[in-house]
Amino acid sequence: MCPPEGDSQLGRVLVVCEKPTAAKRIAEALDERGKPRASRERNVPYYVARYGDSELVVVSALGHLFTLTQSRGSWTYPVFDIKWVPAYTVDKGSRTRNFVEVIGKLSAGVGEYISACDYDIEGSLIAYTILRYICGEESIKRARRMRFSTLTKRDLQRAFKERTPTLDFPIIYAGKARHEVDFLFGINLSRALTLSVKNATGYYQTLSIGRVQGPSLNFIKEREVEIRTFVPEPYWVIEAEAEIEGKKYPLEYSVQKIYRKSEMDEIFEACKGAEGIIKEINSRRIIQKPPTPFSLGDLQREAYSLFKYSPRVTLSAAEQLYLSALVSYPRTSSQRIPSSIDIEGILKDLSQKRDYRKLAEKLLSRPGLKPQQGKKDDPAHPAIHPTGNLPEKRLSRVQSRVFDLVVRRFMAALGDPAVLRSVRADVDINGYLFYLRGRQTERLGWMEFYGPYLRRREVVLPPLRVGQAVAISRLEGVDKFTSPPARFNPSSLLKLMEEVEIGTKATRTDIIETLFKRGYVLGESVNMTDLGFSIVETIARYCPEILSVEMTRRLERDMEFIQLGKKTAEEVVAEAVEALKPILEEFKAKEKLIGVELNAALRVSRAKANILGPCPACETGVLRIIKSRSTGKRFAGCSNYFNGTCRTSYPLPQAGKIEPLGKSCPACGAPIIRVLRRGKRPMTFCINFDCPAKRKRSEKVGAAVPHLQQKNRGG
Amino acid sequence: MERQCPICNRKTGEDDPLCAYHQRSYLNLREKYDRWKAAMDISWEDYLREVARNPNTGEWVREVAQHLLKGERASEFRRPPS
Repeated sequence: MCPPEGDSQLGRVLVVCEKPTAAKRIAEALDERGKPRASRERNVPYYVARYGDSELVVVSALGHLFTLTQSRGSWTYPVFDIKWVPAYTVDKGSRTRNFVEVIGKLSAGVGEYISACDYDIEGSLIAYTILRYICGEESIKRARRMRFSTLTKRDLQRAFKERTPTLDFPIIYAGKARHEVDFLFGINLSRALTLSVKNATGYYQTLSIGRVQGPSLNFIKEREVEIRTFVPEPYWVIEAEAEIEGKKYPLEYSVQKIYRKSEMDEIFEACKGAEGIIKEINSRRIIQKPPTPFSLGDLQREAYSLFKYSPRVTLSAAEQLYLSALVSYPRTSSQRIPSSIDIEGILKDLSQKRDYRKLAEKLLSRPGLKPQQGKKDDPAHPAIHPTGNLPEKRLSRVQSRVFDLVVRRFMAALGDPAVLRSVRADVDINGYLFYLRGRQTERLGWMEFYGPYLRRREVVLPPLRVGQAVAISRLEGVDKFTSPPARFNPSSLLKLMEEVEIGTKATRTDIIETLFKRGYVLGESVNMTDLGFSIVETIARYCPEILSVEMTRRLERDMEFIQLGKKTAEEVVAEAVEALKPILEEFKAKEKLIGVELNAALRVSRAKANILGPCPACETGVLRIIKSRSTGKRFAGCSNYFNGTCRTSYPLPQAGKIEPLGKSCPACGAPIIRVLRRGKRPMTFCINFDCPAKRKRSEKVGAAVPHLQQKNRGG
Repeated sequence: MERQCPICNRKTGEDDPLCAYHQRSYLNLREKYDRWKAAMDISWEDYLREVARNPNTGEWVREVAQHLLKGERASEFRRPPS
């Protein structure tokens, strides 16, 4: 039931939030007694809170309730006529219809509207489209903005008191222009690609490209070409070990890489069996400043490097922590903690948790706590930091790791510089110079707070003196080869996108995911597929602008100009349309040619997707997914079946998408596959049902649970 | 007439016998041969063999090296580069 309108003398205020969890927290923070009335209509939760003379109706969206679509016309291109419509009219699976209708009902009789969505471009736009298209143009004039970086009671109450007199229009217009420009690029280029294949061959396959996807894909392609055309060069290193007082220490030859074998042999012969003499000892102090607090990119990279979490997993965990009011808003580029943040208060609250008590108290005992500030700043939000609140319920493993990382990084940023001592002893072995290196921490400083996440190696040397003789216990010349550059991983790709300033902190993670979803790239270390190559090559040939960083960067700058009032959203969208027109004309003129080229790559990628791996029986054929003509069921069969030399086959699961992993089972040699089923955890297994490893496992289970074994036998 | 790369069937460049990727790999192979020769005094054919079996070698370079070693339809490459 919706609250009756105008039933009291209270002013009615509609507070629009971005997510249901945020709505609950905001209502609880603003209600005078901290207990707002919770209601639900058509499965849409909302809260009625009392605040002074006002009755606040706090309702949530479900992310964007409105989206763009083409105004008229069929599924073709170019499309320049676009409009905002409720998301459920475009995406039939969208659960937003009830939200649109309930918000419409709740907005009756409202005197003031408040946008309390996340304080960023997306949040501002979500509230704006809701007010404009559900509550009507008039509501915009009576709307205000709450600006907050955490969902803590204190921050939310302050944000409500200090709500701005109008909506944040510059941000809204920039967001609107970004959506419209991205939609225009995305719909036109993706349709151009998809239709080129369909019109040339009759085959339908969704292909997509966008103004940020293009340059990102091109980076991956350039790196892949570099790797695939790489010729390693030989070099040699001399590895040695010194023995001092019965302990062994690594010795490093003064030239890191030796590029001639004859030179290596010469050094080796000269040093073999000789003794080393310490010629010089250098020692220096290194001051290591504390790390800066996390921006989103920093957090994603650190979580990847420590736990191998993809940027998406880290972002999602950080968002959950934000919604639980445990950390500040995570979509920030800032590496700074402003003075307005109550650092002492946060530390006092954190000290309630046993794990942080000692560390927090140590920091609190110091006067004038100042965090190490980074270079990057974000006008909307500070760096990610803990709010001081402690988890009320058990966190998932990922959330608890990300939370701990944020807390410790925050405390480390408040620590003193660490002091390290680096020692280098120059050891002469028959005229050749080797280094004996030591590294020791003299003062832990900030490292004490970041303890579990430090990556440092201590080498403590014994007392040394110049002229001391050193026994060489090992001397070896090792053959080496130069390596190609490393493939991107989701984290390094994200870093590059940040560095070249394409996409935003809110969109980069999704763009990387799309590249995987479309089959352009695959693998943990990002490997380009044939389809990915074809897409980049085709676009490079017919509309290279799409791959250029310059064009997308120019558009990003235009968005900033909108926020600064130097350009209007309409101007930016009109310029984007003008930029698109010649590209699409060129595309259309060569559509058939492009379609044929792309289809060839699609055929190869489809054929490859059906190959599970080498046949372990004949070792010359490959196992393919085959659909039986008689039963319609799929199974794996050897390609040598058709020439009559191998009849190997394996049954396959009938439901779900099968993904070959390119690995063979170490126990039986059959390919290992992953089966993806909607709403279920992916299953990874070897396709051989009689695999000895599986038999062993089931015997083990049977031994542990005898009644199961009996049941299995009986069954 | 349009020519095809003998290794991968992609289109070749106007004056190149191989597609753009394999041509680039071939040029890299030639360029690095001098370094290998200076490093370990190796013949062109042994060099190709070493490169073909090296795990750090790029996929397209390996294909070119194997193609050159087979010598099928590529006799023009079978001499050490001048």
